[in-house]
Amino acid sequence: MNKINPNSLRYKDQGNVHMDFHGATNTTIDFIIKKYGIETMNDIFKKVGEGVYADIKKNINEGNINMLAEHWKHFFDREGADYSISVKEDEIVLTVKRCTAYEHVRKLVGNVSPHFCDQTIKTNEAIAEGTPYKITTEILDEGSCKQIIRKRI
Amino acid sequence: MIPSDHFTRFYNEVFKFLEKQGDEDLKEYWLEISKNQEKHTLELFKEKGLKGMYEYWDHIRIEENCDLDLKLESDNLELKMNVCPSLSKVLDNDAEPMKRYCDHCAGWIGPIMDKVGYHLVYDVIDRNKPQCVVKIFKDKEKAIEEEKNASLLMDWPGKK
Repeated sequence: MNKINPNSLRYKDQGNVHMDFHGATNTTIDFIIKKYGIETMNDIFKKVGEGVYADIKKNINEGNINMLAEHWKHFFDREGADYSISVKEDEIVLTVKRCTAYEHVRKLVGNVSPHFCDQTIKTNEAIAEGTPYKITTEILDEGSCKQIIRKRI
Repeated sequence: MIPSDHFTRFYNEVFKFLEKQGDEDLKEYWLEISKNQEKHTLELFKEKGLKGMYEYWDHIRIEENCDLDLKLESDNLELKMNVCPSLSKVLDNDAEPMKRYCDHCAGWIGPIMDKVGYHLVYDVIDRNKPQCVVKIFKDKEKAIEEEKNASLLMDWPGKK
């Protein structure tokens, strides 16, 4: 597996973090699903996975799955999440014990959308679609999940 | 998780979908975001007026890493955005930017200003450049006068 320099990430934001954006994401998910249905929301997440994260997708397609690990580490560190990550040759397991995005939304609005974690599940699926790898997202509890990328069988 | 750093690129995808549905759909969404933003702004703006608005955008200036000059006068507040991080990220994006991305900002701020009895003059200047000038007045006549100086004046749903 190729070693990836974190500086090669397509988006490598620095500076302060505005966690309230997660509240707007939660509002958006509820709005889109109520007005247009869940398939539309999933289509939008798919466009995020394919378009916004085209560079990660390209790297995964070429076998550089470590790019995804660097992406996860960079942003979960920036948001102060409690997570662990195991990186192997053809498999990466990210275990999020405490998702600060989920926690922040709960603090802001009380009720987190039941579809809040679809942004992770569906975006991950779209990033991996058409590549030799598959990304699965298992929700373990509220604000806790396991994301695994491994080769398709 | 779509990182908060990448929210604006997600927002951009939502706008592109809604624009295809029609202008009313886009405006309805801005109003929903506006209601969401009321949690952070409405009481502060009602209680402290222009000073409260200064406090809010000074916090945003820091937290969202904006290159923003704020000038509080006795009768108005000016926000001069030199480099907008929101549009900058949408332009620095592997997905295509929505052409009217900037319009959402007046789309959520305008309805809040209408609710608290202030008048917003939102000059985007150029939708392709991450800069704008916003002025907020208590006096409607002064706002109307200021609108004459705008290069690209923004509108919003239900503008008073």
